[in-house]
Amino acid sequence: MTSVPMVEQTAGKRAAESARRRRDRGGAQAPRPARVRGRKTGGFNRRPGFVTYGLLGAVVLGSALPILWSVLVASHDSTAIVKGVPLIPGGNFFANAATVLDTIPFWKALGNSILVSTVTAASVVIFSSLAGFAFAKLRFRGSKALLVFVVATMAVPTQLGVIPLFIVMSKLGWTGTMGAVIIPGLVTAFGVFWMTQYLQDALPDELIEAVRMDGANMWQAFWHVALPAARPAAAMLALFTFVATWTNFFWPFIVLNAQNPTLPVALQQLQSARFVDYSVVLAGVVLSTIPLLIVFAVAGRHLVAGIMQGAVKG
Amino acid sequence: MSTKPTSAGRARRGPALAASVAAAALLLTACGGGDEGASEGGDGQVTLSISTFNEWGYEELLEEYQEANPNIKIVHDKKATSNNARDNLNTKLAAGSGLSDIEGIEVDWLPELKQYPDQFADLASPEVEGRWLDWKVEDATTEDGKLIGYGTDVGPEAICYRSDLFAEAGLPTDREEVAALLEGDWDHYFEIGEQFTAKSDAAWYDSAMSAYQGMINQVENAYEENDGTVIATENPEVKDIYNQVLENSVDKDLSAHLQLWSDDYEAGFQSGAFATTFCPGWMLGSIEGNAAGVEGWDIANVFPGGGGNWGGSYLTVPTQGKNQEEAIKLAQWLTAPEQQIKAFASKGNFPSQVEAYEMEELTGSTNEFFNDAPVGQIFADRAEAVSVTPFKGQNYFAINDSMQQALDRVDVLKSDDPDSSWQKFVTGVEALQ
Amino acid sequence: MAVTVKPPAARTPVRRVGFSSRLARWDVKVSPYLYISPFFILFAIVGLFPLIYTGWVSLHNWNLIGGNLGFSGTENFTFVLSQPYFWNAVGNTFSIFLISAVPQIILAIGIAAVLDANLRAKTFWRMGVLVPYVVAPVAVGLIFGNVFADQSGAINGLLTSIGLDPVPWHSNTLASHVAIATMVDFRWTGYNALIFLAAMQAVPRDMYEAAILDGASRWRQFISVTVPMLRPTIIFVVITATIGGLQIFDEPRVFDAYGLGGADRQWQTLTMYIWELGWGQRNLGRASAVAWLLFVIIVLIAALNFLITRRIASQGGRK
Repeated sequence: MTSVPMVEQTAGKRAAESARRRRDRGGAQAPRPARVRGRKTGGFNRRPGFVTYGLLGAVVLGSALPILWSVLVASHDSTAIVKGVPLIPGGNFFANAATVLDTIPFWKALGNSILVSTVTAASVVIFSSLAGFAFAKLRFRGSKALLVFVVATMAVPTQLGVIPLFIVMSKLGWTGTMGAVIIPGLVTAFGVFWMTQYLQDALPDELIEAVRMDGANMWQAFWHVALPAARPAAAMLALFTFVATWTNFFWPFIVLNAQNPTLPVALQQLQSARFVDYSVVLAGVVLSTIPLLIVFAVAGRHLVAGIMQGAVKG
Repeated sequence: MSTKPTSAGRARRGPALAASVAAAALLLTACGGGDEGASEGGDGQVTLSISTFNEWGYEELLEEYQEANPNIKIVHDKKATSNNARDNLNTKLAAGSGLSDIEGIEVDWLPELKQYPDQFADLASPEVEGRWLDWKVEDATTEDGKLIGYGTDVGPEAICYRSDLFAEAGLPTDREEVAALLEGDWDHYFEIGEQFTAKSDAAWYDSAMSAYQGMINQVENAYEENDGTVIATENPEVKDIYNQVLENSVDKDLSAHLQLWSDDYEAGFQSGAFATTFCPGWMLGSIEGNAAGVEGWDIANVFPGGGGNWGGSYLTVPTQGKNQEEAIKLAQWLTAPEQQIKAFASKGNFPSQVEAYEMEELTGSTNEFFNDAPVGQIFADRAEAVSVTPFKGQNYFAINDSMQQALDRVDVLKSDDPDSSWQKFVTGVEALQ
Repeated sequence: MAVTVKPPAARTPVRRVGFSSRLARWDVKVSPYLYISPFFILFAIVGLFPLIYTGWVSLHNWNLIGGNLGFSGTENFTFVLSQPYFWNAVGNTFSIFLISAVPQIILAIGIAAVLDANLRAKTFWRMGVLVPYVVAPVAVGLIFGNVFADQSGAINGLLTSIGLDPVPWHSNTLASHVAIATMVDFRWTGYNALIFLAAMQAVPRDMYEAAILDGASRWRQFISVTVPMLRPTIIFVVITATIGGLQIFDEPRVFDAYGLGGADRQWQTLTMYIWELGWGQRNLGRASAVAWLLFVIIVLIAALNFLITRRIASQGGRK
């Protein structure tokens, strides 16, 4: 591909940059270079000070509190939340988790959730990248108007779509199946808009022209140039879509049944009681969040790597 | 309808991948057991679905039924709250499909559903004649004599009270004595409350709304005439009760000013914010849960102004279903006295079936948390004491909700005085037309 | 360092077909439409049909269960426009939106800037700020319920213990909006911070180096390099936050046990009003009318936002 030198030019800087960072990482433990009045010398890749870490630590701790609290409540019995939650974990978690597994079809719901979230995330990324590439980089009649239209579709209030959408799904005979949950989310306006915005800046026009000169067709231009350039944004979109689908309740609750639920739909069954035993409910919440945290750990690495290296594999 | 792969299909990998995503999505719809409600297997197998909410105590009963009828498979869909269940029911009635073979409904939704008798199978049959309390059947019977729901439980009300707080204020603590003390009309109940609050830091009852619903349920035509004409805003009875409740709750400060079911209300059980509350049978579980570790709750066999019913449910069979015959059989079986007694034993839902009141399992039942009170006997007596069947037309519950908010504005929020809040209530009721 | 552009999967040899120039022209012309078609096909089924259906319903006297009871023209619209609760919901929606969106976006940019620094354990910090986005609403609702309860809540407990007056979180309109905005921001700030971070990462580092050589302080670098380069992303976040914020439903719904927005509708938003009309009062015609009004409002506000943001975000021209 003749475009390689092009890329190397842009990539060279970045590669050099990441090399520099790597070197820094192996450096001394001291967060600052030991220079007096060296305030400006560090530039942007200077190690931040304790204040920064302190602030970030506070933000992350605040973010994690609900999960920690859920774990805490889930490790006690039903009376804990009523009497005030003790700050020491109890020994009741496995009993509560067992109740969850007995009460709802947890494994089936887990399988469904994995399936729905994975397919939705993959398809949103592919189709949004395609559309984003077209809107950002290709010239065609009506592109501006169509993009505005895409954004405008986000303004349709979801609550009212429920009845007509249910009628459609029911005519197709899909109610109660995962298809009814997957199909409406196959490509989202948010995804198209996001990919358009990202590719506008991240993908130099020259690059596309170069491969086109090289005789590649549009599809190849997309597949070999646009998609790699979009990787960081795609990773993020995949993660966001996965999580959003995983936690989605409103529509699945209407269209699925107890036999064949996704996790949030199954979990709500734990709350059906005159007095809700929140230690069990939150045990369910904890169990259903674990897979997400695993996805985080895996995707997080890719996300950071993707962002760091931009359009290129180092 | 598929999202088509999006290329002219020249470079192979990309389109193939896009197509496989779309194909996978389509395949998923093909497998995945998309049987909403009914499916007939090859060997006469029937799958029945039943929807309930909160806690009906049906788990073991459904197992039992499946064992007795090997050709029936039952899927039980439990919704967390009655609001969830109502939204779900209404959405699927609107869409014209998707309901379970048997839908559990709360008495609150009955009036609105009775306007659409075509949506529900007629359940009247000689076999169930005389099974329930008269007013329970009357509530579920449409104008042209169709029975759209089989009664499950009812909510006859007693007074739950904190004997320890009574003792501190110098009132009797024994449940017989408390019943004797509170016997009388609402004025009398409020008077005792004044005696109590003079000697205690706790309030007499939880909120204006709970007292109000007890009072309004003793009025035959509170909000609507029998022909459906809305009279709520001009009915002097309603206005009088409204004023009486607010005067006692706010001016005399007998209420704890808690909004029912709020976090503060639930916390109120732990802090001992109030000494009495109006409790139907289904309320006991929630009191027990919220008051965990608190000693002294007991139940008195008495209710101001006679008897009153709060809540209760029905089983209906929507005509959308494909297995209505089998569904009716199951609903009949579930609402038979023998079965409802078991649901009562496991979850405390008090039967609406008259025969059950004679059964030893019920009359002999006690509740440990409430100082071993003979709850079965108490509620059976309370059910007998219900003398008025309030008429509830299609606007009843929307009006009652507006009223609840009107009371809360004065009692809980303290953002309005009784007059201005009443004006807003009038506006709200007019907007319903 | 040799770098090559690789497709994410194993490479496939590109088939060279002898293109006729006509085919190539056709490729250029038609491809864009093909690429955007999946969205529009899907939207036609799951977006456009509901939108048209809703429009149709809004022109009729339509009961949720009973269905169409006859044509009523603009009656539904004139009715809801005359309702105090409608205007109350409009006010609440904007109030909650502004109270939540402004701090959220500022905070998100701030957090992103910190995350963009050369941190140890990058992945941990980045994923850490996204954690609120995954927490199940039931847990969040429970916790915030405990925090904001009027008499038994954590915040008021703290305030009374140091001798201050408790805040009436549920009875005071503004206080309820602040509480709900807090819940909204808890969920979305980290999410938007990561969006900003992605954009910051794409800022060429040599621009900073140039600024440092010019003796610019960190703040100065942020204002004159980072923010202008973030322009498209700021527009993106502002628009999506506006569209999402004006449709706010979940958080105010769980703020009390009834889900109607308070006894005096102190925090009822437009989507909640739609729900009350349609599902509470079963008047789907009126609910649809409000839905369409909301749709128009959102489109107008988003357009206005777009124009304003484009102004503000100065010149960070395209490469």
